[in-house]
Amino acid sequence: MKISRGSSAGPQAGTAELGLRSLLNRFVIRRTNRALEERLRFEALLSELSAGLIHVTAGEIDAALGGALRQVATFLGVDRANLEEYVGGEPTVRLTWELPGLESPPSVMDADQFPWSADTLRRGKSVRFSRIDELPAEAATDRASYARAGTRSKVSLPLRAGGPMLGVLSFGSVRREYAWPDELVERLKLLSQAFASALERKRVELSLAERLRFEKLLSSLSTAFSHLAADEFDREIQRGLRQIVEFLGVDRGSLIEFSRDGSTARSWAIEEWMDVGEFPWMTARLQRGDTVSFSQLENFPAEAAVDRQSYLAHRVKPQVAVPLLAGGTVVGGLVFSAVGAERAGSDELTQHLHLLGEVFANALSRKQTELEAQRLRQDLTHIGRVSALGELTASLAHELSQPLTAILYNAQTAERLLAADVVDPAKLREIVSDIIADDKRAGDVISRLRTLLKKGDPEFVPLDLNEIVGEVAWLMRSDAIVRNLPLILELAPDLPNVRGDRVQLQQVVLNLVLNGLEAMREPHAGQRTLVIRTSRDGAAAVRVEIQDAGPGIDAKDLDRMFEPLYTTKAEGLGMGLAIVRTIVDAHGGGLGAVNNAQGGATVHFTLPVETKDTE
Amino acid sequence: MTAASPLVFVVDDDPSVRKSVTRLLESSGYAVEAFASAREFLARAPHPGPCCLVLDVRMPGLTGLELQERLVAGGRHMSIVFVTGHVDVPQSVKAMKVGAVDLLTKPVDAEDLLAAVQRCVAKSTRDVSMAARVTDVQRRVKMLTAREMEVFALVVTGMLNKQIAGALGIGEKTVKVHRARVMEKMRAGSVAELVRLADEVGVIVPK
Repeated sequence: MKISRGSSAGPQAGTAELGLRSLLNRFVIRRTNRALEERLRFEALLSELSAGLIHVTAGEIDAALGGALRQVATFLGVDRANLEEYVGGEPTVRLTWELPGLESPPSVMDADQFPWSADTLRRGKSVRFSRIDELPAEAATDRASYARAGTRSKVSLPLRAGGPMLGVLSFGSVRREYAWPDELVERLKLLSQAFASALERKRVELSLAERLRFEKLLSSLSTAFSHLAADEFDREIQRGLRQIVEFLGVDRGSLIEFSRDGSTARSWAIEEWMDVGEFPWMTARLQRGDTVSFSQLENFPAEAAVDRQSYLAHRVKPQVAVPLLAGGTVVGGLVFSAVGAERAGSDELTQHLHLLGEVFANALSRKQTELEAQRLRQDLTHIGRVSALGELTASLAHELSQPLTAILYNAQTAERLLAADVVDPAKLREIVSDIIADDKRAGDVISRLRTLLKKGDPEFVPLDLNEIVGEVAWLMRSDAIVRNLPLILELAPDLPNVRGDRVQLQQVVLNLVLNGLEAMREPHAGQRTLVIRTSRDGAAAVRVEIQDAGPGIDAKDLDRMFEPLYTTKAEGLGMGLAIVRTIVDAHGGGLGAVNNAQGGATVHFTLPVETKDTE
Repeated sequence: MTAASPLVFVVDDDPSVRKSVTRLLESSGYAVEAFASAREFLARAPHPGPCCLVLDVRMPGLTGLELQERLVAGGRHMSIVFVTGHVDVPQSVKAMKVGAVDLLTKPVDAEDLLAAVQRCVAKSTRDVSMAARVTDVQRRVKMLTAREMEVFALVVTGMLNKQIAGALGIGEKTVKVHRARVMEKMRAGSVAELVRLADEVGVIVPK
């Protein structure tokens, strides 16, 4: 169990008696032999441990070190053994072993409790004392701290492997004073080198593995964000933040989006996000494009008092916030913080966040562009709808004037009957009920008009295309009368539903019908009718055809007719069919045009049949 | 109402309008016949007495203006009150030229419509009596012999008997006899009256 006690194990006595001498000699020899034997066993243990450490993988190193620590401590008969690992000067792993019933001692690197010891170790020297009073005078604080922890003897060795200090290996005694002969300390130094190289290997391997993990994270986020549909955005951002939070081992992560005018637009967060308003200093710096990183609130400048209060209130210890830049402007910020231990943000971490930030910045700016485009498209379709309605004004006026005419005739007839005292209640009742019916009819015209003019977000619902066609035909009825071009509906029965926005699809049909009527404006031979036809297009699609009897479409226009601003009309904007295309595309449908054998052209669009499981 | 009571025809494709306008006209004492389309109206036998057509300009199939053209082409000069949803100047002018009495814009005030119908009926009544008179004068013209017809045509131009005799290559006395016959058959008391009758039937002056 115990090895050489060094100076304390001196020869017992000296008598001249030979027998006694020889006995003594034998004793000395035996004891020397035993010491030698123990030393050999210890060396065997050390070399076994050192050899063993070489073969364990990075992930198993901590466990192996813990086992080694216990074996050595047991062999030495000490009460406590611990190994503290430091990365970048901060404690990361602490392996301890102590006799049952004993508490772990405080870290010898705690500069408050052990200023002298920590400083000595930092300078690469070991700390060794068999009795507390062996500590030098300048180590008064250390002495008191050791006494408080019940440490009577201790040896602490810095762990180095060429570079900065990787950790500290300590063995301590509580129950009794323990001598640390040079010879033992030398051997422990050998052990500490084996430990140090194991730690170094772990650090290298882990940082390699971490770098690999980071690369994977980065590429998976880039992929996930590159084809982000607007409705997936929130979910994917949350997922991305979650991945980063897990990768960094922090508690909170948030993405802040700054709007164009510099105010905050939105934020997404893992765990709670604190209102940006609580952090004016950090927000302002982010908006200026600065990275804000801190591990200790004490380092905050005076002007960040509000932020500091907020961090204290939210118990946030360290934080890293990087600005997100897209095209030279700050579009947002990525913020990660921990509420547990204080943890310094390394340069590597900040660099990682900048790389991740680029991915988020791209996603944000893409989303903003996408929203902008969507808004433009909506404006455009609205304008298109308004201008299409402009073309219908005359017919809508007719549609309204019919019931209004009837109402006026009926009301004035009633008035005349009353004035003439020819009151037949039955006749008056009939007149009044006709007035009511016509008023409702006028109201109906207005409400349909309002639906068509409504400007709003598209609502995708199951729709019957026959119904859509019917509504447009109703709207066009008087227009067709004015133009003296009959509309003929050929609607397939039992048409399956499609999924779409009612107003948008009405507009598709309306634009195509107006286009068809326009084509027949110039008089020419043949039957002047416009046919709207619905049919199934295979099992998975529904088809709507608008067949006119106009002059047909020039071959050169067939390819380009659905392009924006392409028009063959003198007064056309070239937007009608482009809007049709935009809407049909957004519905996942197809669009085409052909010239008919019998003259005129047929424009068709198809839409996928609604499947029950579509969300 | 008597047999002479004027008849109003209503042609409008809109059932509500048709029904309400019929109701208004009937309550004002007119006999009304309503039709849903121009073709339906054309299928009805022409009405000989005074009548008025209240016609919607804009209708599917044959429009109001096309109906008017057909009527004119068929020699039926009817008095028409057009009702339209919006005023279209060139069309209005065209309609008025071929005999529209009024052109009203929807929604029409009942008083305006009734006044227009009244004017329309009055014109129709005048037209009908004028037509009757023309028929009567034409009947008298038909009683003239060929020579009497020649003399009639020249007398109304203001020629003297001697000039007529010269123009026709007959004796002045003979002209005098023919002239007296014409005055008698045409029941004209003076040359001035004969000229007015010639105007009414449009006697063609021979070369």
